[in-house]
Amino acid sequence: VGKKVQAIYLWWHKPVINKELLQSLPNLKVIANSGVGMDHLDLKLVASFGVKMANAPRAVSSSTADTGMALLLASARRLVEVHNISISPSMEYREADVLGVKLAGATLGIIGMGSIGYKIALRAKAFEMKILYHNRTRRKVQDEQAVGATYCRRIDSLLQQADFVMLVVSLTPQTHKLIGKKELELMKPTATLINISRGAVVDQEALVAALQTGVIRAAALDVTSPEPLPRDHPLLKLKNVIITPHLGIKTDKATYMITEEAVENILAALSGLPLPSEVLPS
Amino acid sequence: MWYHKPAINEELLQSLPNLKVVASSGVGIDHLDLKLLSSYGVKVSNTPFIVSTDTADMGMALLLASSRRVVEGHEMAVSPDTECFPADWLGVEVSGATLGIVGMGTIGYKVAERAKAFEMKILYHNRNQRKKEEESAVGAVYCKKIDDLLQQSDFVLLAVNLTPQTHKLIGKRELELMKPTATLINISRGLVVDQDALVEALQNKVIKAAALDVTYPEPLPRDHPLLKLKNVIITPHIGSATKTTRWVMMEEMAESIEAGLAGLPVPREVL
Repeated sequence: VGKKVQAIYLWWHKPVINKELLQSLPNLKVIANSGVGMDHLDLKLVASFGVKMANAPRAVSSSTADTGMALLLASARRLVEVHNISISPSMEYREADVLGVKLAGATLGIIGMGSIGYKIALRAKAFEMKILYHNRTRRKVQDEQAVGATYCRRIDSLLQQADFVMLVVSLTPQTHKLIGKKELELMKPTATLINISRGAVVDQEALVAALQTGVIRAAALDVTSPEPLPRDHPLLKLKNVIITPHLGIKTDKATYMITEEAVENILAALSGLPLPSEVLPS
Repeated sequence: MWYHKPAINEELLQSLPNLKVVASSGVGIDHLDLKLLSSYGVKVSNTPFIVSTDTADMGMALLLASSRRVVEGHEMAVSPDTECFPADWLGVEVSGATLGIVGMGTIGYKVAERAKAFEMKILYHNRNQRKKEEESAVGAVYCKKIDDLLQQSDFVLLAVNLTPQTHKLIGKRELELMKPTATLINISRGLVVDQDALVEALQNKVIKAAALDVTYPEPLPRDHPLLKLKNVIITPHIGSATKTTRWVMMEEMAESIEAGLAGLPVPREVL
């Protein structure tokens, strides 16, 4: 059977691509990933076997941006807390327990202004938010003006001014634990951290401490390390934390589009044609 | 007046001969008998515009939370029984979907502005059609008949005032016109919806889900079926509940009261 396999469509990081698997599939030509993140793959290893890799960047950006906004809004308006109050047997609450944060006029700091980050900026602008962003490189002026975004060359400057900080970077050695104790302490005590990138971008222990001591107001996390978290993890018990099960692209439409993109890449690879969204080891 | 208390009736008005002004919090005035108050020479004010962005935000928060199953997702993420996240656990895509806004006043329009940024197609139904420029700015298409909006929308958002005309605007017939994959979002008043018909529609999968910031009554009795349905999100009428807005509302109400007591024109008077 191993000799027949020419393509792998990776769904949620399965199967695990390691040396043993690659050696057992001598005719493998391409691995197509569902989604855009490639941090779970050893790109150099795969390339050393002459196997091409592709991701699905086009299909994910709107759905993931929507997830970021869903978490921003859910956290700002305390949606999980207030829903639980509404259905609770006693329904006793103090006004202060349900007051949320006004978005119009508030500042959103986007860390990672790729396709997904940019779509978030487009959405946030419609909520009359001020937008700051930090990115490896600065975007074109027209792009910035279209969403009213101001570039922060230093991440510290963004962290100090933002009411909401949204992480939209890829996971790389440079972004690993990008947000740690120092960064959390730079944030406003009234600020919210939203993570739709990868759990490992945040120093999770530092985040727990910051949330417990009021260094920041709240967090909303679609991604953690690991997924799911161990059932006794402190993040699961904090009132000011919303955690979602890596919803990023989990919609009917996105799933369909991702599969279409993957198939396009697979067919191209098998025909010896250029791949629409090839990923090369950097 | 805060959250519709105290109830203003004939007995109360008779017992307060020197009452000059009632300042009501928020924009809705369906809980006030304006004719009765006027007959006692009492002026009424509300806080109409300051609540608009927060209420529109709430509408979008409910739309996104419902479609992407945020509340259910959080429960799964923190539940002691969860071992792994199922790969086939999906929500509904918001980008590119069709939003039908019933009631395109200030709040409805702000919802449209927000929804446009999500690349949503926008339909709206209103007593009057909006100006062409206003429609183009948000890409909204007017539906003279509410039926057309109901049949085409993936999300139906209610942003009308409660009046005798909008009472039970959404009943069994309207729910059956909606797509079985559609979600109803209510940020207006509980009475705009026939609640019993809604429960049935949700139980029988006539529509997919509902997200309600308002119900009738508020709060619902603790044994009410809406509290138990998995496909319902309920919030305790917090459309305008942000620190910043509540602060401004109180300032506005105090301003209206001071003007009323000084015999000056009352800002935000409701006639």
